[in-house]
Amino acid sequence: MAGVRLEHLAKAYDKGPLVIRDVNIDIKDKEFVVLVGPSGCGKSTLLRMIAGLESITGGHLYIGDRRVNEVPASERDIAMVFQNYALYPHMTVFENMAFGLKLRGLPKEEIRQRVEKAARMLEIETLLDRRPKDMSGGQRQRVAIGRAIVRNPQVFLFDEPLSNLDAKLRGQTRIELQKLHRELNATMIYVTHDQVEAMTLGDRIVVLRNGDVMQQDTPLNLYNHPANQFVAGFIGSPPMNFLPGRICADGPLRFESRGGMLGIDLSEYPQAATLRAYQGKPVVLGIRAEHIRRRPGPNERRFFRRLVPVEAVENMGSETMVYFPLETQRFIARLSADYPIPADQPLDLFWDLGKLHFFDAETEVAIR
Amino acid sequence: MRKDKWIPYGLVAPYILHFAVFVAFPVVFSVVLTFHRWNIISPMEFIGLDNYVRLFKDRLFWQAIYNTLRFLVVHIPLQIVVALALAELLNRTVRGASFFRAAFFLPVIVSGVVVTILWQQLLGYNLGLLNRLLTAVSLPRVAWLDDPDIAMYSIAVMATWKNVGLYVILFLVGLQTVPAQYYEAADLEGATDWQKFRYITLPMINPTIFTVVVLSTIGGFSLFIEPYIMTEGGPLNSTLSAVMYIYQQAFQYYHMGYSATLGFFFALLILGVVMLQRRYIEQEN
Ligand SMILES: Nc1ncnc2c1ncn2[C@@H]1O[C@H](COP(=O)(O)OP(=O)(O)OP(=O)(O)O)[C@@H](O)[C@H]1O
Ligand SMILES: [Mg+2]
Repeated sequence: MAGVRLEHLAKAYDKGPLVIRDVNIDIKDKEFVVLVGPSGCGKSTLLRMIAGLESITGGHLYIGDRRVNEVPASERDIAMVFQNYALYPHMTVFENMAFGLKLRGLPKEEIRQRVEKAARMLEIETLLDRRPKDMSGGQRQRVAIGRAIVRNPQVFLFDEPLSNLDAKLRGQTRIELQKLHRELNATMIYVTHDQVEAMTLGDRIVVLRNGDVMQQDTPLNLYNHPANQFVAGFIGSPPMNFLPGRICADGPLRFESRGGMLGIDLSEYPQAATLRAYQGKPVVLGIRAEHIRRRPGPNERRFFRRLVPVEAVENMGSETMVYFPLETQRFIARLSADYPIPADQPLDLFWDLGKLHFFDAETEVAIR
Repeated sequence: MRKDKWIPYGLVAPYILHFAVFVAFPVVFSVVLTFHRWNIISPMEFIGLDNYVRLFKDRLFWQAIYNTLRFLVVHIPLQIVVALALAELLNRTVRGASFFRAAFFLPVIVSGVVVTILWQQLLGYNLGLLNRLLTAVSLPRVAWLDDPDIAMYSIAVMATWKNVGLYVILFLVGLQTVPAQYYEAADLEGATDWQKFRYITLPMINPTIFTVVVLSTIGGFSLFIEPYIMTEGGPLNSTLSAVMYIYQQAFQYYHMGYSATLGFFFALLILGVVMLQRRYIEQEN
């Protein structure tokens, strides 16, 4: 087992633009790190650079203490689970899993033991004689993971391994991957564009956009303290509500929406002092759907109260999503499902001032 | 409505006519011929199975079959190995790949007569380029086309050179159907280039290999132009191919009935060989 360190890593395909720019990530031994970001942000590219399937344009890549920029994939001792599994169609499950061990010239008996052990762990013992085409997507997925674990590599890489599964299976496999990580006690780097997978699997999440690292932290820290508007909008479902406006500090500290429809008294806001410096400047206010409530908490002064017209109501059973327009934006509030919400009446809602986020409108950086 | 009924027949008529005149009739006629003696000029004479009896006693025919098989034994493996090797090379991103692709294909479209005359210059005993190279490095000359033990193999090499471009293209197409991800997965498993070729490429292009084996078997059995021009079947009938013998029987001796019998028998032989190949390769899978 080993950690992986990316220092100022950069990548351009054939003289094209940089698709990975100055990426620095220090992945500890046994850590589960998730790379997440929208399509085309460079997640796969970064993962393939670590695997040795793509060349490195700039910077340094270390596995353990060894610099591996020029080390071929075959010598990096890394296993990767591909998005479409890449199982060899002409080999049985057993042969697929045994392939890497066979190439290494391990004795037959040991190969058999290791394959069977991995197969037991993944509950695919009964499939060992099948060919990939005779299995379901979920089963293939397990075989692909099995092929990775028999070799006992230093680092596991996963490139969107769950994206071909249906929602239910995805949920199950997520839990099994967590279990697997605990059992194998291995370093894992996992790519996904699904923020739920990222939140549930990662010890740490790295959020990428256009080849840049936007933020890296634990799931909860990303959720509670997004470093910028992009992360705030990307992590969390439904996405955070945003409203552009400006700070007025002549008199009591206030946020005023751009359209002038909304003025929020911020004198009770915890970071009032930092905000004061933004006097007169454009900012973006952010609030998560679950921080807009039906009833104020015990400390009513820390809530901003507003009557809003309801645009749509979605009953999820466990909770109710309420959509309402606010100037040019559409806001979402996540409310308890205990009380029915009529769709045609205005609704009195309380915004938790302690949970407001503010971002510099120009740089999109969080103001804290 | 009445008239419309005939339109479909009218539409297929040209093809049916063509098929009848150029395929069905010759096939039926040549089967009929095998039971006759005919020299084109005098009327056909029915002789029962005499032609078949004669075929089994005809040592020269069996020698021609044997020669053809000797040719195939060298030609087919050589063709496959060389074509596959060249295709593997071209499949990598080498500089000038498209130039080489065209270069390898050129002999395929050049007339066989031209190629044969060219190789005659190359393989000549006294003035041939190859022997001049040998003498230049003080090695003895080789009777490429004049030694009965060597001539057929020289022709096999030449025929490979002429046809290999076609099979390179077939293999290239086959290689490109193998998804890159299999090689990437194998890379991560620590496979060497040879292991990737052996365990991934070969099994995955098996259908292409079968196609190439069958095509080059059929092509090889019809060996004719090369020995006809280069050696006229000699020396000592060592390069007399089956098709060449059939040709001689028909157009030198005007034994039309006998020639048809040989051709008929030879076609059955090819069919048998291809079916065997097919069964063998299917078992491999
Ligand atoms: N082989 C390639 N040649 C040139 N550009 C490429 C190549 N592969 C990827 N790119 C570009 O690099 C950028 C990052 O691509 P990458 O596949 O890493 O994105 P991703 O984050 O994995 O996206 P997705 O979620 O859609 O898989 C994209 O702009 C893409 O167009
Ligand atoms: Mg990707």
